[in-house]
Amino acid sequence: MLSYYLALALASMRRTPVLSSLMVLALGLGIGAFMTTFTVYYLMSGDPIPHKSDVLFAVQLDNWDPNSPPTESAEDVQPQLTWQDGLNLMRADTPATRQAHMYSTGAIVVPEGDEPPFDENIRATYQTFFEMFDVPFLHGGAWDGRADEERASVAVIGRELNDKLFGGGDSVGKSIRLDDNYFKVVGVIDDWQPTPRFYHSDWSRAFADTAQIFVPMTRAIDEPMGPRGNTNCWAPLDESVPVIEAFLKSECVWTQFWAELETPEQVAAYKDYLDNYVRDQKEVGRFPRPLNTFISDVNEWLDVMGVVGNDNRVQLRLSFLFLVVCVLNTVGLLLAKFLGKGGEVALRRAMGASRGAVFSQNLVEVGTIGVLGGLLGIGLAWLGLRAVESLYRGYQHLVHLDVMMLTAAVGLSVAAAVAAGLYPVWRVSRLQPAGLLKTQ
Amino acid sequence: MNDFGPIFRTLLRNKLGALLIALQIALTLAVVTNAAYIIGQRADDVARPSGLDEANTAIFHTTLFDSNVDQQQLRRDDLDALRNLPGVVAAVPIQSVPISGSGWGEDYYTTPEMTSDESINFGMFMVDEHGLDTLDLEMLGGRNFRPEEMTLRSLESFESPRVTIVSQALADALFPDGDALGKTVYDEPNGEKPMEIIGIYDHMQNAWPHSDNVNRTALIPAYANFGGQMMYLVRAEPGQRDAVMAAGEAYLAKNRSRIVEHVRSYEEQKRRTYDGDIAMITLMSAVITVLAAVTGLGIVGLAWFSVTQRRKQIGTRRALGATRLDIVRYFMVENWMITSIGIVIGIVGAVTLNWFLDTEYSTGRVPLWYLPAGMVALWLLGQLAVLLPARRAASIPPALATRSV
Repeated sequence: MLSYYLALALASMRRTPVLSSLMVLALGLGIGAFMTTFTVYYLMSGDPIPHKSDVLFAVQLDNWDPNSPPTESAEDVQPQLTWQDGLNLMRADTPATRQAHMYSTGAIVVPEGDEPPFDENIRATYQTFFEMFDVPFLHGGAWDGRADEERASVAVIGRELNDKLFGGGDSVGKSIRLDDNYFKVVGVIDDWQPTPRFYHSDWSRAFADTAQIFVPMTRAIDEPMGPRGNTNCWAPLDESVPVIEAFLKSECVWTQFWAELETPEQVAAYKDYLDNYVRDQKEVGRFPRPLNTFISDVNEWLDVMGVVGNDNRVQLRLSFLFLVVCVLNTVGLLLAKFLGKGGEVALRRAMGASRGAVFSQNLVEVGTIGVLGGLLGIGLAWLGLRAVESLYRGYQHLVHLDVMMLTAAVGLSVAAAVAAGLYPVWRVSRLQPAGLLKTQ
Repeated sequence: MNDFGPIFRTLLRNKLGALLIALQIALTLAVVTNAAYIIGQRADDVARPSGLDEANTAIFHTTLFDSNVDQQQLRRDDLDALRNLPGVVAAVPIQSVPISGSGWGEDYYTTPEMTSDESINFGMFMVDEHGLDTLDLEMLGGRNFRPEEMTLRSLESFESPRVTIVSQALADALFPDGDALGKTVYDEPNGEKPMEIIGIYDHMQNAWPHSDNVNRTALIPAYANFGGQMMYLVRAEPGQRDAVMAAGEAYLAKNRSRIVEHVRSYEEQKRRTYDGDIAMITLMSAVITVLAAVTGLGIVGLAWFSVTQRRKQIGTRRALGATRLDIVRYFMVENWMITSIGIVIGIVGAVTLNWFLDTEYSTGRVPLWYLPAGMVALWLLGQLAVLLPARRAASIPPALATRSV
């Protein structure tokens, strides 16, 4: 029966080619535009580490200028920590299962042989980083805790860099030169790209590549390797000591801090711990503002950082209205078309087709238009995403269509077509055959 | 024009069809006015002058990685070479580039008593005496830096210059009475690090074009040696920029103890900085174009269909003496009525949508004149779209009335 209805639907569409292609085109454009913005929105607001996002917490301590406006929520507090606070927390015996202190830096990689040197971003952190964030290893593994204490010259490198420097082989035990120093490779990371890159999501960096080099933070500070991310200061540096020392013990914020907390009790205990830490620091004259500490799990943190921008939300809203216009357009065209089919329907009814049969037959036609519109929409969404990718830098990891989005596109299109066609189909199945047959 | 009544009454017989088009037009008006407003706003932002000679300026960004090299000497050699390239007007070492998104924010205090919530925030640029020339700044008063006023900022030492040159906007913010020239400002609270304002230039934007105080900038005479980052800004004679970029890169790349991170025209930097705005402009323009096309084609489709449906009536009217023009006019008037209903609903829709977007995403309020502009555009769109089916209707021969009844 369905194949017969399908044949009828195609025949009917061929009879009104202009109207039919207009409907498919309108639906396709609407679906294409909406799926483009929705895909961007969906991927931006995605959970970068679903199995652990509720146990990983970003830490904020309010060490800022007493003269700046009062703090009401996590959004009002600097998203980064001073180096000294991070170091103190790393050294302390806190209720957290694990903690990781980190910052973003960089160096020039000087390959052996004649290959030209090149610049790479580096994440300086602790051994705990890899286990906390479930970083997958291809060869070797994280450095051990002693390397953090001993400020060892060890490095974990990414697959891409390993391909470039060592032709993709197991490079564990080999050395890489960063600026003037040699670091021993202890592990090679497999492809790893949390999207958004939640652990350092400030400014426009939320969709940036993960670093290809990781070194112990203690070693990086020793060097010193300067921070490449955003550095924010409110108090003048102490001029009685060398600049680097003054910077490290300053109130400047430029490091990120994460804690792994597995139970609600642990969360509460950790929060208490932070509050007490700040109280202690107040004793020695730091933290002049009222006590404010915040911990946010991964998804809360992405909200605090405003990873999904207002522009993306505006685009999503407007493209939804665009889809509504396309559906309205289709309803109008379907209504016109189906009311014009009165004669044919009357004939089918007179030959014994029930109202239900007429209804479902026409619904199949509407559904066919929906499927065609959906397929066109997928093609247009693919083009749309390519356009978005070329318009924004740093969206490379973001824009791809997965099976779920493809299914959603066709589903949405059929739903839109059926919603658009329900009334016209119902109208046409209610027509009285007798009156229409007479005028033939 | 006494056929308004009959046309309107005919319209009422197909209320749903007419209402659907009207709604479509209403939504189109709402979306188009808001999208056009966003485009206008972003285009204004991008068009703001940064103060530099944008078409003729290039950025050279290098990183030194061999700690045995004398950074000060290397900078002197680089600048000598860059300044002597054919086609170069001026070259300057600088620690960050205006509007590049990465820069140095600083506060000046006008009195020793001032607290940090009263101090004036601005974007600071560390240059030498070639800064004014390279950045194409016009001095409104005062003098340039002198070579002996240069200071050094590195991880070992952090010298404070005694002089500064500020933008007109920063001068006005610091000293609203307009007498900033020659005054002393303090780089830190409690009267620490005094500097004399020795000059005022017309205009330059800071590193963050979306900040509130984008026009507040200042220059200080300093070399920045933090790590190996070394940046130069070069202004070329008109038409010489690309040649200067190529020659400059070739020179800088010869030294193997550093790498050239990028050589970029200022225009390219501007495109990168504003990529979000440019993307928004492109996407909103696409929305407007395609939406107008969908709505227009929808009108064509429906009118086409209605002409087919009414072939006999049209033939009869023609037989009864209606001219071709009458028939065309019928469809145009019908479309005008539907469009007008849509526009009335659409104005409410546009205002509501703007209110929503402004409250939720702070897009700003659409100026009122966007509404009449949108209305006229939609009337035109409707009339144009209906023209083709209307002409087809007019070509129906009167003889049709006598056939097959």
